[in-house]
Amino acid sequence: MKKELLGVIDATTYHEDLEDLLAHRALAALPFAGRYRIIDFVLSNMVNSGIRSVAIFPKMQYRSLMDHLGSGKNWDLNRKRDGLFFFPSPSVDFDGKKIGSFENFAANLDFFYRSTQEYSLISNCYTVFNMNFRSILEWHSNSKCDITEIHQKDGGSMEMYLIKTSLLIKLIETRNETGYTCMKDAVNDIQSLYTICNYEYDGYAVMIDSIENYFSTSMNLLQSDVWKKLFIKEQPIFTKVKDEPPTKYIKGSVVKNAMIANGCLISGSVENSIISRGVKIGKGAVIKNCIIMQKCVIEDNCILDSVILDKDVKVEAGTQLTGTAGSPFVVRKGTQQGALMNS
Amino acid sequence: MAKKKCVAMLLAGGKGSRLNSLTKDLAKPAVPFGGKYRIIDFALSNCANSGIDTVGVLTQYQPLLLNSYIGIGSAWDLDRKDGGVTVLPPYAESSEVKWYTGTASAIYQNLNYLKQYQPEYVLILSGDHIYKMNYESMLEYHIEKRADVTISLIEVPWDEASRFGIMDTDEELRIVDFDEKPANPKNNLASMGIYIFNWNILKEYLEMDDRVPESSHDFGKDVIPMLLEENKKLFAYPFKGYWKDVGTVQSLWEANMDLLREECDLDLFDHGWRIYSVNPNQPPQYISPAAVVKESLINEGCTIEGDIEKSVLFQGVTVGKGSTILESVIMPDAIIGNNCLIERAIVPSEVKVPDGTVIRSFDDEIILVTNEMLSGLYPAF
Repeated sequence: MKKELLGVIDATTYHEDLEDLLAHRALAALPFAGRYRIIDFVLSNMVNSGIRSVAIFPKMQYRSLMDHLGSGKNWDLNRKRDGLFFFPSPSVDFDGKKIGSFENFAANLDFFYRSTQEYSLISNCYTVFNMNFRSILEWHSNSKCDITEIHQKDGGSMEMYLIKTSLLIKLIETRNETGYTCMKDAVNDIQSLYTICNYEYDGYAVMIDSIENYFSTSMNLLQSDVWKKLFIKEQPIFTKVKDEPPTKYIKGSVVKNAMIANGCLISGSVENSIISRGVKIGKGAVIKNCIIMQKCVIEDNCILDSVILDKDVKVEAGTQLTGTAGSPFVVRKGTQQGALMNS
Repeated sequence: MAKKKCVAMLLAGGKGSRLNSLTKDLAKPAVPFGGKYRIIDFALSNCANSGIDTVGVLTQYQPLLLNSYIGIGSAWDLDRKDGGVTVLPPYAESSEVKWYTGTASAIYQNLNYLKQYQPEYVLILSGDHIYKMNYESMLEYHIEKRADVTISLIEVPWDEASRFGIMDTDEELRIVDFDEKPANPKNNLASMGIYIFNWNILKEYLEMDDRVPESSHDFGKDVIPMLLEENKKLFAYPFKGYWKDVGTVQSLWEANMDLLREECDLDLFDHGWRIYSVNPNQPPQYISPAAVVKESLINEGCTIEGDIEKSVLFQGVTVGKGSTILESVIMPDAIIGNNCLIERAIVPSEVKVPDGTVIRSFDDEIILVTNEMLSGLYPAF
């Protein structure tokens, strides 16, 4: 029988540098690339790698994440056997900075015992990448390694770990004796009893941990070589389906170098920007170097440069908003921006 | 099985032969429309939005794609524990194989499907039409009029009237005459092919029709005239709004172009009445720095490097550098190379148009591009 992998996604992470975008949602549910949430990348990669059982460990503000994932149907994970599992943290005060917290896993040890998959892949939830995990499983199982940590080529840890499920259970159960609180502790112990290996991943991968890097990673999507590394026909990124119609370009619209999701009505001009589903851009409006999230309404003759509009933002006619690439102007979810409010 | 007030029967076996090569391998209801949809999405979405949760879909001609497209109906929220979508192909009985010879015979052969639900009313629909309609309102009207049968009616242009079933009504909108495709139509009030029958009437008359050897087993030609002859209560339900039978390449193109108008009669953006379809799950469309996009409808997964004007592009279409697409419909996953010119044409799914190809219509006729055409007729220059 083929070697099976269990997917474990740690969705407890919170990055303070992304605060403006995380007031209403978990980091895992951060909108990205016009129609995705950031967790879609790792989750789709798991599914595309043949993983049939995925456990997600969220912490706070997980309503948006649950709403997004639902039964797992969009990832083909609504299965009678295995499928998608959701394990919210039993306590609110544990440290969410460590990927693969054993304390958190321990509360759901039964799940690991019940899982039949020989290996487990433990991953963070905020990496933008398109990777097939089968090759690393092959590599790991042929090596003498006990734990493999995925590294970026010429870079640091990607906070993804491959380990035998039985060893993972052992690490969870012996956490008090070993002093290992998480996967990171286990791989960073130079006196470890286990063989720790690094696997170098030479594909495209960015871990989103600040507004600045969220903005620049988004803008890089407009380069077709980056785009092609992320959106591969044979390894699609799945997401929650919305029944939006195709985007309509209305007389007077000018669009250049942009990524535009479905359901938009565009009358103004858009350049170097990412526009999410269901956005309305009025006549004479100029949108440059912006990330506009779902269902925003930008009225006529607005001028926006280097701005991130979170979901459901309304920008009144004639408003001007300007940020910079290093420090984009961020407008929080559901708010309204008027012409007289910013000077 | 639980009793249902109203069950819909959706006739989706149409060949659509005037759509030429577009319907060579698929039934007319499966023909792509509007950048994202297939024609049958409109009737199925109308059912979902009208609260009708039990729909039998009758297929016959080229059913493979249609069957897999409909699946268990989840795209239209019609995957139900009780009811939902059931695809009903023709089947063999111990004595013979019975093809659906007409619209009435198709329903007649599936009376057992209907009997399971003991419906009070049966809604008969066609999968060939593009429109948004609340069937629940029509059912209320039917009940209010105490009708035996209600037929929805729309005013069509006089010169097209002979393509339809034409009705004559009295002031109360009771139907007094019905002519299927008359050579000289008396008026322009056309049947939309949407009927609500009281279940017992439907059953009785379909059984009666089956016993008439010379019948063509068609609702418009045989069953409705028979009901009128017996003085049953047939009422017309006037429908106002966008309704199109896209029977030809020209009308399919026109219906697509209708969507590009700023104030379009068929509002696809109305969240209160969404048109659902099977989602292709592709990344957002990418408009390159060199591209120009004007007055168009473009779906996800497209990569645009050329000029697009007044056109409808389905999911996964690629348009290369220096190419111009004007007043055209480009169906899913078609690839348009570099430096092409395509004007007033329909490019079917997955067709590859080589670099430098020029396709333009010099008369009013819309060109339906085919692979054969590309391999010979149009030299690259």
